[in-house]
Amino acid sequence: MSEGSKVSAGGGKKRYAMVVDTRRCIGCMACQVACKAEYDTPLGVNRTWVPYKVVGKYPNVKKQFLPRLCNHCEDPPCVRNCPVEATFVVEDGGFVLQRYERCIGCRSCMAACPYNARFMLPSHRTYTPITNVVDKCTFCFHRVTQNLVPACVQTCIGRSRVFGDLNDPNSEVSYLVAKNATQVLRPEEGTKPHVFYIGADRNTTEFGRDAYQKREVMELERSAFKSHFKI
Amino acid sequence: MGDYVWFHDVSWHASYAVYFFVIGILAGLSFISFGSWRTPALRPLREKTAYASFVLLGLGGMLLIADLSQPMRFLNILNPAYLNFTSPLAWGALNIVAFSIASIVYILALRRRDEKNGQLLALITALLALGLPIYTGFDLTVHQSRPVWNTPIMPVLFVALAIASGSAVGALLAAGNTEAQKVLREYMLWSAGAVAVMLVSIMGTTNYGGSAAELTFMIMTTGTMGLLFIGVGFLGGSVAPALMLFAPMGKSQGVVLVSALLILAGSAALRYVLLMAPQQLQTLY
Ligand code: SF4
Ligand code: SF4
Repeated sequence: MSEGSKVSAGGGKKRYAMVVDTRRCIGCMACQVACKAEYDTPLGVNRTWVPYKVVGKYPNVKKQFLPRLCNHCEDPPCVRNCPVEATFVVEDGGFVLQRYERCIGCRSCMAACPYNARFMLPSHRTYTPITNVVDKCTFCFHRVTQNLVPACVQTCIGRSRVFGDLNDPNSEVSYLVAKNATQVLRPEEGTKPHVFYIGADRNTTEFGRDAYQKREVMELERSAFKSHFKI
Repeated sequence: MGDYVWFHDVSWHASYAVYFFVIGILAGLSFISFGSWRTPALRPLREKTAYASFVLLGLGGMLLIADLSQPMRFLNILNPAYLNFTSPLAWGALNIVAFSIASIVYILALRRRDEKNGQLLALITALLALGLPIYTGFDLTVHQSRPVWNTPIMPVLFVALAIASGSAVGALLAAGNTEAQKVLREYMLWSAGAVAVMLVSIMGTTNYGGSAAELTFMIMTTGTMGLLFIGVGFLGGSVAPALMLFAPMGKSQGVVLVSALLILAGSAALRYVLLMAPQQLQTLY
């Protein structure tokens, strides 16, 4: 990741943000696939993912989607907790990025992130030597600095994901944030997330009913979920 | 039905709990070695505890490095150009290095029978040892989204656990020496009592602390975690030894040794649960 790349052309600083309009998300998971393709993200881990809950009672039922990714927080606890500054904020743009060559793999940042946005890369990968370090969404820094939108935004068929500069009053994200009631995830953590949701449902933003299972049940499900790691 | 939940991994695994356990014991042993300069009854333990603490430091250091997914990069954490002082891990690394140096110098003084500088070096080593449980406590405390971890009591609890488990190992090392065991019995009694009180306050605040905290309380107190936390850690490893040591027969050597073993088993279980349980819920978010 080139830290020297210029983000803003003019004098003012940019502050990128994403708006996710959940009313428009159809749950096609194309964003998840586009992200996987963009970064060759290994099996079992994701930079972005789209969990859903079926809510309501028959016949009034609905699937509620909540596209998730790193919130590129304004006050990121992951950055605060990294002992070697392997994760850092790009002041111009607000990206929270990784220095893969510096990361020691202590996983403090993973423990610190309230959103599970971070994951450990496996030790074997086919197309890249970046292994055994922590990774996460970069807001597609390499694309945005080339005047492209992130891969997930580019591919979003419902135009649920919108990306842009919050400091630019004429940007679509500024307009959407100004004109709609928006939510951020776990605002009580004080992280000041920069992924804004329109119409996020509490069924998906709070701890779900799975959390009420016994730990052994959760463990069983989790190990089944992770079984491909053993293949 | 049909929900799609993405399971995330816990960040820190059980090996980190073993590291906490080892670090606690070695800090406690350093306190005893310093105590031997003040309390004549502990004199026979001075060298033994200093050596044992140093050996455990080597073990703890290896555990810590092996737990990194990039173990060969552990020196990055000591690179002044990289150090990030808002991270307790950075302070911890400096603390461990300073403690290692102080330990070596102290052991050399002991070998030279340098009584003049020995006491001062013991004090410096003990103060640096005190930093170890404090930093490991802060390691957890700073994570604002984790119930139980994010409470001011963690560093204090880890200090109490260090005194309890260090004294327990000291009592085992002093088997047969009734004078030393009398002193260590006091250390164990009050530190195990303090641990029990802190665990009650953790349970109370967690059970009434909002949805995430309540769910974490449930994870900590049911199933295998519950058995380890309430059974082995709280009842077996702190309440029982505190009561046994307080009782009239508490001064007998048998009771002191059994209490020491219980405290060690309990403090290992507590480290495991305190590390792992508050991570479980988050994996479902
Ligand atoms: S969402 Fe998590 S990983 Fe992303 S900036 Fe915030 S704390 Fe860091
Ligand atoms: S795992 Fe890497 S990026 Fe995360 S805190 Fe440790 S050194 Fe920093």
